Amino acid sequence: MGIKGLTKLLADNAPKAMKEQKFESYFGRKIAIDASMSIYQFLIVVGRTGTETLTNEAGEVTSHLQGMFTRTIRLLESGMKPVYVFDGKPPDLKKQELAKRYSKRADATEDLAEAVEVHEYSVGNKEDIEKFSKRTVKVTKQHNEDCKRLLRLMGVPVIEVSLDMLLLKQRPNVLHFVNQTRHVYAVASEDMDSLTFGAPRFLRHLMDPSSRKIPVMEFEVAKILEELNLTMDQFIDLCILSGCDYCDSIRGIGGLTALKLIRQHGSIENILENINKDRFSEGERCCCVVGELILSHSCLDYHIDYETGSLWCFASQVTNTKYQKIGHIKRLDGCLRNQKSSLTKSNLILSGLLQDEEGLITFLVNENGFNSDRVTKVCLLSVMAKISPGIEKVKAAKNKSAQGRLESFFKPVSNTSGPVKRKEPKCVLQSPKQAFKPRMFSLQACNSSMPNFTGSLRLPSLALGLKHSPPLSRGVCFSA
Amino acid sequence: MLELRLVQGSLLKKVLEAIKDLVNDANFDCSATGFSLQAMDSSHVALVALLLRSEGFEHYRCDRNLSMGMNLGNMSKMLRCAGNDDIITIKADDGSDTVTFMFESPTQDKIADFEMKLMDIDSEHLGIPEAEYHAIVRMPSAEFARICKDLSSIGDTVVISVTKEGVKFSTRGDIGTANIVLRQNTTVDKPEDSTIIEMNEPVSLTFALRYMNSFTRATPLSNTVTISLSSELPVVVEYKIAEMGYIRFYLAPKIEEDEEETKPQI
Repeated sequence: MGIKGLTKLLADNAPKAMKEQKFESYFGRKIAIDASMSIYQFLIVVGRTGTETLTNEAGEVTSHLQGMFTRTIRLLESGMKPVYVFDGKPPDLKKQELAKRYSKRADATEDLAEAVEVHEYSVGNKEDIEKFSKRTVKVTKQHNEDCKRLLRLMGVPVIEVSLDMLLLKQRPNVLHFVNQTRHVYAVASEDMDSLTFGAPRFLRHLMDPSSRKIPVMEFEVAKILEELNLTMDQFIDLCILSGCDYCDSIRGIGGLTALKLIRQHGSIENILENINKDRFSEGERCCCVVGELILSHSCLDYHIDYETGSLWCFASQVTNTKYQKIGHIKRLDGCLRNQKSSLTKSNLILSGLLQDEEGLITFLVNENGFNSDRVTKVCLLSVMAKISPGIEKVKAAKNKSAQGRLESFFKPVSNTSGPVKRKEPKCVLQSPKQAFKPRMFSLQACNSSMPNFTGSLRLPSLALGLKHSPPLSRGVCFSA
Repeated sequence: MLELRLVQGSLLKKVLEAIKDLVNDANFDCSATGFSLQAMDSSHVALVALLLRSEGFEHYRCDRNLSMGMNLGNMSKMLRCAGNDDIITIKADDGSDTVTFMFESPTQDKIADFEMKLMDIDSEHLGIPEAEYHAIVRMPSAEFARICKDLSSIGDTVVISVTKEGVKFSTRGDIGTANIVLRQNTTVDKPEDSTIIEMNEPVSLTFALRYMNSFTRATPLSNTVTISLSSELPVVVEYKIAEMGYIRFYLAPKIEEDEEETKPQI
């Protein structure tokens, strides 16, 4: 899941794009939420003891509904306007990854069976059972449909779209739908892929229980691009190079190298074209790896279609020393066409669905035994108490008048007094080690909006020789 | 080189107590004219603007404009170590990443130095235009604090409306409603106890009491508070700081929910 090491890369290279925010400060904002991941989390966590989960009378799992219901209420109560985004059809390539996950799950099922068997003889491996049973969790179509129905009944918009990095690469303008429709303030997910989906911001840890007191991490895409000095397309390339769901990253190319290569060549296509020269001139190991990749293209099925400028393939898996083909991207037009129709649909849904109170009760209580089910009575007690106030809450939250923000009245101006203009040579020479200490200190002591002790910026930028160093060095001078 | 000596050290302590719950980190800007701060709370609903003019300091030296990022919680921790009668001196060297607070007892027999690490804070500076307000209410600060506290036990929001009759604070909650009306009153013994209402146009605005209550933490700084209201602007709640400057709080009003999509916020 996600892009390897991207958080760290951004923390080092674009610290200003990351901000810690309070959950409460997102009131009034439309937030797109990765529904599939949420459902998965619910199925794993909600109401689980050992292999038992929340079920209704028919024995169907209802953990996801319980989780979705309470979480959505929490969001509505805080004044946010959630929009749930469900995965559409996965692209062909993702099927490879899905197959891998499937086989992992199969393994876990066996382990689980084993653990349960052992359990009959010995007491004490309950933890094992729980661990393995968590791994066997699978989100089915039914789960998705249930949740969609619940959300529609609650009057929360639902969008179905395949948001995927690789698709973005193909048709950016189609997929920047979030931006186009101008409905969404941010995308909330734990999956860093979401950064590339075109919403102006990306939120992490939004859904963490409030008891854990983890601040929401906000990434502002425009600032990332500005600080990394990349265009959106280049950023997507960077994410792909650093590794994504489909392909392992190329050996020797981590985030930093990927960033460097993108800066140098502009796009993945150019990297592929130019990498040979680099191989000889620079002799850098990573470049050799890519170079080899190209040289050995006879055994690697890659393909760039220059006409459309889009079809490319980087699906390689490194097994020890050999690159093994695991598949490549076929035309995804089919997927995209489906998407277009769902886009128009989603607009309709966004324009507002009325909540259906009776339907909600029927669905939760009558159909899914949220009210009186003996088997899961422990968990249900709390549900019973919650259901009717819950509906009240949904109603109340929707009638709230909105709190205005100062930005709608006052416009930002460039800071006249500006950062300090102290120009001491010693500040440039400040050692990164020193710089890290205050930063650690800050995280413990302030627990608030990501204070950047400036010295820490220096570490990565030294290695890279960034083009945009002037603002950075100004910051460094400040801290030195 | 920066050196600011404030004889009435308790002022700075009170300022910090007034703003530290609203804002976590902020840049203090020092220039030849004074020591100032502008910061918003994390949800960008409220803004604090502080000014301590250079004339208010016994000694004021600021060679060049300087912006010092501080964590207000930490700063308040340090200032709490100063006695109420202590003289506070703020010192910072060029190129240093720390600021020093020096506390001298009035009898000069105890001198304490506290050095605090500075931070680089990326904060937006908002331009606040000078505006003609529809209504300006000046009233005893303790009275305003009392009203906000009382109303917050009934509801979450306060409607402040100024009419010819006076200024009305009202709220509504699950248990009922509350209305408090103040009339213009200038016939008191002490001028600071008077309530003065200047009104060009009637105005009525809704605000979150949570923020109002946090503004009233500045009550110890001044006996009177000035509330300026305009229908298209955030309210300004101003506390004057004894001949030195002011602390102003801006709060964005609550707006009736609009089903139409508002402009994208980017």
